Amino acid sequence: MKQGELRRTLIVATFLCFSLFVYLYWQQGTRPLHSLVLTYKRIYTSSRKSYPAQWTWHCVNQKCERHIVSEKSIITGLSTCNMLCGSTQLWPQPTGPVTLGSKALSFNHAQLQFANSTLLNEALASFNDTVLSLVRSDVTKRPDLNKFIVRIHITHSAISRLKLKTDESYSLTLKCTKNKEIVASIGAKTYFGARHGLETLAQLIWWDDYRQTLMVLKGATIQDKPKFPYRGLMIDTARNFMSIESLKRVLIGMSATKLNIFHWHLSDSQSFPVVLPRVPQLAKTGAYGPEKTYLPEEVKALVEFARVRGIRTILEVDTPAHAGNGWDWGPREGLGELAVCVNERPWSLYCGEPPCGQLNPENPNVYDVLEKIYRDLLELSGEKEIFHLGGDEVNLECWAQHLQKTNYSDLHDLWGEFTLKALERLQKANDNQPIPHVILWSSKLTKRPYLTKYLNKSQMTVQSWGGSQWSDTPDLIADGYQVLISHVDAWYLDCGFGRWRETGEAACDPYRPWQVVYNHRPWQQFRLNKNQILGGEACLWTEQVDESNLDTRLWPRAAAFAERMWSDPELDTTTFGIQEDVYTRLSTLRDRKSKKSKKSWAKP
Amino acid sequence: MCTNYTGFKLLLCCLLLSTVRGWVWECTPAGSCQRRDPHVNDTFFNSLDVCRLVCGDRGNIWPLPANYTTKNKDLVYIDAKNIVFSIDCPTTSANIYLGNVVDYFKDVINENDEQNCSKTKYKLILNVNVANSILILNYKTSEEYSLDITTDSSSKTVTVNIIAVTIFGARHAFESLLQLIETESTADETCFVTLKEVSIQDKPKYKHRGLLLDSARNFLSVEVIKKNIIAMGMSKLNTLHWHMSDSQSFPFVSARVPNMTSYGAYSAAQTYSPYEIRDLLQFAKLHGVRIIPEIDGPAHTGSGWQWGADAGLGDLIVCYNKLPYKSFCIQPPCGQMNPANPNLYQVLGNIYADILDLWTDGLDLFHMGGDEVYIPCWNSSQEIVNYIDNNRSPEAFHKLWSEYQEKALSAFDAVNADATEPSSAILWTSSLTEISHVEKYVPKERYIIQTWVSKSDPLPKELLDLGYKLIISTKDSWYLDHGFWGTTKYYTWRTVYDNTILNDAAVLGGEVCMWGELVDNSNVEPRVWPRAAAAAERLWTNPSTTSIEATSRFFSHNDRLARRGVRTSPVVPKYCSQSHSDCIGYLVT
Repeated sequence: MKQGELRRTLIVATFLCFSLFVYLYWQQGTRPLHSLVLTYKRIYTSSRKSYPAQWTWHCVNQKCERHIVSEKSIITGLSTCNMLCGSTQLWPQPTGPVTLGSKALSFNHAQLQFANSTLLNEALASFNDTVLSLVRSDVTKRPDLNKFIVRIHITHSAISRLKLKTDESYSLTLKCTKNKEIVASIGAKTYFGARHGLETLAQLIWWDDYRQTLMVLKGATIQDKPKFPYRGLMIDTARNFMSIESLKRVLIGMSATKLNIFHWHLSDSQSFPVVLPRVPQLAKTGAYGPEKTYLPEEVKALVEFARVRGIRTILEVDTPAHAGNGWDWGPREGLGELAVCVNERPWSLYCGEPPCGQLNPENPNVYDVLEKIYRDLLELSGEKEIFHLGGDEVNLECWAQHLQKTNYSDLHDLWGEFTLKALERLQKANDNQPIPHVILWSSKLTKRPYLTKYLNKSQMTVQSWGGSQWSDTPDLIADGYQVLISHVDAWYLDCGFGRWRETGEAACDPYRPWQVVYNHRPWQQFRLNKNQILGGEACLWTEQVDESNLDTRLWPRAAAFAERMWSDPELDTTTFGIQEDVYTRLSTLRDRKSKKSKKSWAKP
Repeated sequence: MCTNYTGFKLLLCCLLLSTVRGWVWECTPAGSCQRRDPHVNDTFFNSLDVCRLVCGDRGNIWPLPANYTTKNKDLVYIDAKNIVFSIDCPTTSANIYLGNVVDYFKDVINENDEQNCSKTKYKLILNVNVANSILILNYKTSEEYSLDITTDSSSKTVTVNIIAVTIFGARHAFESLLQLIETESTADETCFVTLKEVSIQDKPKYKHRGLLLDSARNFLSVEVIKKNIIAMGMSKLNTLHWHMSDSQSFPFVSARVPNMTSYGAYSAAQTYSPYEIRDLLQFAKLHGVRIIPEIDGPAHTGSGWQWGADAGLGDLIVCYNKLPYKSFCIQPPCGQMNPANPNLYQVLGNIYADILDLWTDGLDLFHMGGDEVYIPCWNSSQEIVNYIDNNRSPEAFHKLWSEYQEKALSAFDAVNADATEPSSAILWTSSLTEISHVEKYVPKERYIIQTWVSKSDPLPKELLDLGYKLIISTKDSWYLDHGFWGTTKYYTWRTVYDNTILNDAAVLGGEVCMWGELVDNSNVEPRVWPRAAAAAERLWTNPSTTSIEATSRFFSHNDRLARRGVRTSPVVPKYCSQSHSDCIGYLVT
């Protein structure tokens, strides 16, 4: 370039800069003066900034220690240090043998390949989402790996429905070939086992904040299967409504921790949000509002969303108690009173919490309505192995005051007969096939002498929710019943927030921190026959919960419960302390999960 | 809701939805809103919020105004999106502030959509008159205001007159006005409504109405702090006590001492830069909140202070991260300032200078912390033991502690030389503030004491009798972190509300405290809200009535917080807020 050209270019460039400056200055001048002051609208976002490394973690005695970064230090992020130091970072901990490599390799998300796996589209898509959700930036550096191949082999690929006897085991190997290819092979008998394998594989992959890349362990072999077939979580959507979106977040958390049963407590005396095709009157008169409803299609879609994540959905319409709003249309349609003491005041005389309401067992039309409800629930969930009848907290005073011809000397018999009639209608609704496992909440009816009088032990399972020190659970087991454990003093996640009613006591204070949830192991403490224990269920009642705090109230405590049900780790019976690796593994899980979901987990 | 469906499914969906009932509400003679079946009676309201606006004598404003009267409770439809504002205030700066408040007001109104409103809409004229040019919120600032709504049917005009001494009072009036404007929706239209004639004269009972947030145990993002500030403004809480640092981390970026965050932040991203803090202060001010910074000392320090020896300044702290921690502090990691090292005060002075640079309104009040000093920690340092001439008696350590207070306060005064009068410092109650020797160690003309003892403890009264000014944080009612650790209990909003504090001119007010050991961005909002709002009414109104009488208004305020995007917890099943009187456990005549 000649000197003259350079000069001319510079002059033009200077002129352009000057014009730009004048333009900007002019623009600024036309804005009102106060707009230059920071206003309340400017919410600062820090996510785009990048920062230098400040801390590095060193693995010392199988623990990661934090050190300040100096010029000499090798910089290792906390996630990478934890993955390569001491214990596994898997949650729940596998029950079979595990060997893990001590080296890690970096890779790009685009290098993932799935071999011969058309049957697993949904599971792989959700695995892919999980890996993608770890990625924090799209900085592309040359990765250590050339390829990351995921191979899955399923021997019984036709099984598409999870049952209690379904084999959920899997084996996983991770190998690095000479060509710098990682091959992850998952072997399982069923889709559900393979899906669990993918969840475990996802936990061997992490994001390194300092290297700004995805990492994977260089080698691993894992064999794993659950200790209990029923690993449930119950959510109540009647006390306060939860959107489908928020329930999906719950299901994603469940699938990541290998929980496999979503017990959906659909209705209660407060509201009836689900629009049932055969009995739309229930939601019509019982929902909190037109926008606080679940449409049949939405329920079906959610059931499928859960199924592909290895979770079966059990729909519960609680009866004969816990039913009120939504049941007041009987007289208008010539069916008589379907429910009694609905919204009766003062509530404390007729029920445990406001508003009251209980089905009318003397009205034969009630059973016709129940049959229709059961048909709809069976259709919506497609679930024909397990059914939940509800059946808790019947207040006999409500019936005694409101029923016409109470020729029962003991109203428990009325309750028992109601239950038998409901069971009969359930069977009719299921094309006259008996449902193998029908669950009832524990109550006076599930105690002697009514228990053996009304409940058939080959079919009925009792969900035991009383205190763990009560005799309920051991008695049921002694009497030969199958039991599902939901002890209120360990696995009721709603407890601890004081009394919400103006009178009466707090239902079940105090709050149980995750350590209590984790350490609860009644089969060992009371030497119960494990063969009669179907499994356990953590329950979240929602008198004081809605979408604003659903996630934080569930997690990480439901995850602690999940490991108890999947791995059932031994307890240190002298100190009842929790092993240090449990703390680290849980906090790793929390970091992964809170990166994944915006509404994240509460601090453990 | 049916938007995801097409064809037959869409038809089915709409059919099903159209059958779901929209409730209506009756204002019962007892003054509460009762859910009813629709089409029973056309005097019922089809929106719960509108029913609450009209129903009852006390109105629906939270916190309850000192004086609230309605001469005409008829509803009037208003053109809320075209309000004519007329602002009369003495200075340009006050005018700019009120301009921003008006913008905020409009934004909140605009969050609601008016749709096809076919009603006759009255024009809304809003006159604001502020007498005083004060731009700084402190104990001397008047927060009182009056708000009058009058309606002229002939000209179809609703006039709102707001009169306040300061811009902060006027801002409170705007919050009250927002609570007097609701939307009424039917299947076809949504309209803004208000009451025809309302008259409010309002001022707070306590000057200091605070929320403590702890961003040291776990980091809280600026966005989350702002969400809390919005909710504070809505509830007329005026003080954010910012517990910025503790032994676990030091997230405040000090321009003069950058080592504090390099050695003390959880990560470089988990810090508060000067820019962010200025922005936050401005934001808070707009919401009627002043931020009081606390750099806790001499205990509750650790992370961030470790660099002294390497930098040739000697040990600024002692027993950092010492184990077993139970022998040296309350919770790990341990750490306590080294009062024997004169360089400590140099560093503190620099940090204070940075704070003063950012708090451009000045700091006539700041928090020095001062709780839970653990003598065994100091006792374990040879340097400190030598400094006090090997006298290891409790008195010697208390003397050392008070020497620290004096020197730290002088370090503050030295960098605050521009102030017209010396600032007040707040101290937590501790063994230094024990009645027997508090006057010896804590001069009452400089210090305000924040008590954090239980309801039954006589300490606040005793300190008051000695002539101290107090801020009260009743531990067994207002500690919002309780219920999740140890044997502590969770306090419901009723317990928070029903906690009354001493009524005396020297009791400046109170604070609810959200300590951060088990709280971070994920759960801080639902843990604080709506409980902090319950304390807000106690501190603003201090009514002689209890939470029982406030119930339905409280539910309404909680709904309001949720609508504004605050992640506030429900306190009852929705049924009980839709039909409160059904959930009362005793017979009401």
